[in-house]
Amino acid sequence: MNPLRHDFIQTCRSSSPYSSFTVLTEDSSDILPPTSDAAHNTTHNTFNVQKLRYLDIGCGGGIFAESAARLPTTSSVLAIDPSPGVLAIARSHAKKDPSLSPKLTYLSSTIESLPTLKPEAVQKKFDVVSCFEVIEHVDHPALFLDHVAQFVKPGGWLVMSTIARTWTSWFTTNFMAEDVLGIVPKGTHDWHKYINEYELRGYFEETEEKRRFWGRPRAMGVVYVPGLGWKEVPGSEKVGNYFLGVQRLAGEDA
Amino acid sequence: MEAVVRRKAAAYVCRSCTRQFQRQLRRNYSNSAPRPDIYDVVCVGGGPAGLSLLTALRANPVTSHLRVALVEAQDLSKVKSWKLPPNKYSNRCSSLTPTSALFLDQIGAWEHLDQTRVQPYHEMQVWDGVTDARIEFDWAPGSAPVEGTTIAYMNENLNLTSGLLKRLEQLGGVSVFEGAKVENITFGEETEDLDLSQWPVVHISGGKQLTARLLVGADGANSPVRAFAGIDAKGWDYDRHGVVATLEMEGEGWGGEHTKIAYQRFLPTGPVAMLPMPGNIATLVWSTTPENASLLKRLPPKDFVAMVNAAFRLSTVDLAFMHTQGADQDDEYSWRLQHTPFNSRAVPQTVVGVQEGTVASFPLKMRHADTYIGERVALVGDAAHTIHPLAGQGLNQGQGDVQSLAKTIEFAVTHGQDIGSIMSLESYVSERYTANHVLLGVVDKLHKLYSAESGPLVPLRSLGLNAVNALGPLKSFFMKQAAGSGTKIF
Repeated sequence: MNPLRHDFIQTCRSSSPYSSFTVLTEDSSDILPPTSDAAHNTTHNTFNVQKLRYLDIGCGGGIFAESAARLPTTSSVLAIDPSPGVLAIARSHAKKDPSLSPKLTYLSSTIESLPTLKPEAVQKKFDVVSCFEVIEHVDHPALFLDHVAQFVKPGGWLVMSTIARTWTSWFTTNFMAEDVLGIVPKGTHDWHKYINEYELRGYFEETEEKRRFWGRPRAMGVVYVPGLGWKEVPGSEKVGNYFLGVQRLAGEDA
Repeated sequence: MEAVVRRKAAAYVCRSCTRQFQRQLRRNYSNSAPRPDIYDVVCVGGGPAGLSLLTALRANPVTSHLRVALVEAQDLSKVKSWKLPPNKYSNRCSSLTPTSALFLDQIGAWEHLDQTRVQPYHEMQVWDGVTDARIEFDWAPGSAPVEGTTIAYMNENLNLTSGLLKRLEQLGGVSVFEGAKVENITFGEETEDLDLSQWPVVHISGGKQLTARLLVGADGANSPVRAFAGIDAKGWDYDRHGVVATLEMEGEGWGGEHTKIAYQRFLPTGPVAMLPMPGNIATLVWSTTPENASLLKRLPPKDFVAMVNAAFRLSTVDLAFMHTQGADQDDEYSWRLQHTPFNSRAVPQTVVGVQEGTVASFPLKMRHADTYIGERVALVGDAAHTIHPLAGQGLNQGQGDVQSLAKTIEFAVTHGQDIGSIMSLESYVSERYTANHVLLGVVDKLHKLYSAESGPLVPLRSLGLNAVNALGPLKSFFMKQAAGSGTKIF
């Protein structure tokens, strides 16, 4: 997995004094305000006090969901995916680590059907809602994000990763990955559905109402360097893979 | 001991058979199986490497929530309460580089060492026994690293392990199984809702079983953990023994109490080193042939002392002759010394005595494991590599391993990775393997280079040594590398 996912979430959460919400959450009594970012000095708070609830949308084989569940700061992870096939793989993999079962729940569901399947998920909401490499496969991204919003706790973060629609991304993810190298099945990516960073950012900033509901989005461009793994490259969010994180401010659902 | 280990190792070889057998057992007794006792880290071996690792994990708030266990065959309470009179020293000493000392300080262990028994040294005198080519590692004015002029610290191994145990006791939270032998290592079971078939289970004497997310082999050169993981270790025996002894000197050394000097002379049979301990004590490490070693161990104290003094002063021919004498080396030495010109300030002060029962020897070898990691397994210290002691790097390599592995585990914890998975452990092996391999190779070649008594290598090596000695910046580079304070080149 790309370990920068957790670094990015950590950066987002520590960027805002409200990140772990002393005021706006309903069960704030057991939560202390966060301190600065590094794991070292926040340890006491991070590892002993704040326990976060995660919702992972489009969890696939559970790579991120498992890692989130392993974090000592996590109280629970609900991981959903509409495909029963990948969930079976995710479940059998989770069996190999006994620390996961108390925290990690897989559910075969889309975001649209989640309120029906798990009404309490809308009520309790989540500190971190993640959808990694999902939005580029979605037909109506704006509608999708409208649905997602209701699961983010006020003060909580929606964290996404996706790919910008550029010649570079067409070359690497469509031409190289699918046609030449064949490391992903043909037709996995529809380049036309890729969303540029300014477009995604635009969704959260387009109206006055949205700007009251969401904080300022934060982006981080990342590049996969063969032999070294994923590296943050400032500015690369305009070219290829990037993270975007946005904090929910409003207490009332839109 | 070796036979036992080999027999056990054989039991690990056919893992598929073991699994098959377990599967049968499971079928029959699956309902009666006790709940597995699962630890995040099970460390086999309570030597300096294993104890430092556990201390580092416990001292770091990021990793202190991990459930950790230590399995050690020895009785650790004896090690913890280890104490010798102030003028008596153990014969098993190691040099700790400033880098190792800093790490031990960071994990809060350094202050638990008895500081009155730790001796920093500031200079090294190294010379060729055949040609007398010499290199003096003393800091030229202005070339010393900022943190001080200490090249390394001499310290008794027991002072280190005892200090680490005290620090661990202060930190708490380690399940210690001492006086416990590892009887077997198998894999866990697979049940309906839990699959531990890739998790190592350590069976210790008394019937206890510990299931490990990460099994750490800090269990020495004949590591049962390494055998379990099916990791081979390659290398060779040097056909040399390291003779150690605690020596009493005529004084505190030529530099006095504040500038202590380490001496090493390369003899054709191997290097002989004398390293300063507090006061007028020094520790000897003499690599020599097994025959010479057994003679040295047999000699009465006065003749042993004569041999040590001879080793730093007489010609290699004289010295070789004295090894053929059955007795009376003392007289022989006094006579030959009168006919040997040497600069007494360039060799260690005269040895006047040897502490009783401290003359011992151990075989020297070079080993390097093919890798340090497997699925849910990591090797540190001697389980991963064994080095010739001529550069005093063995223990420091182990501390370097531990520092790296602890950092790797910390990264895995903060990123939600399984600390036992190969993927999480990869950065440990990539950080340490090449660095250790280069050091093992350099030390091995040094040993071989100085084993030659004649031939083209002899003038060349002397030329090289003299040249390095004359070139100030190069010498200071080597010194900083030795002290672990220079730019990391490996």
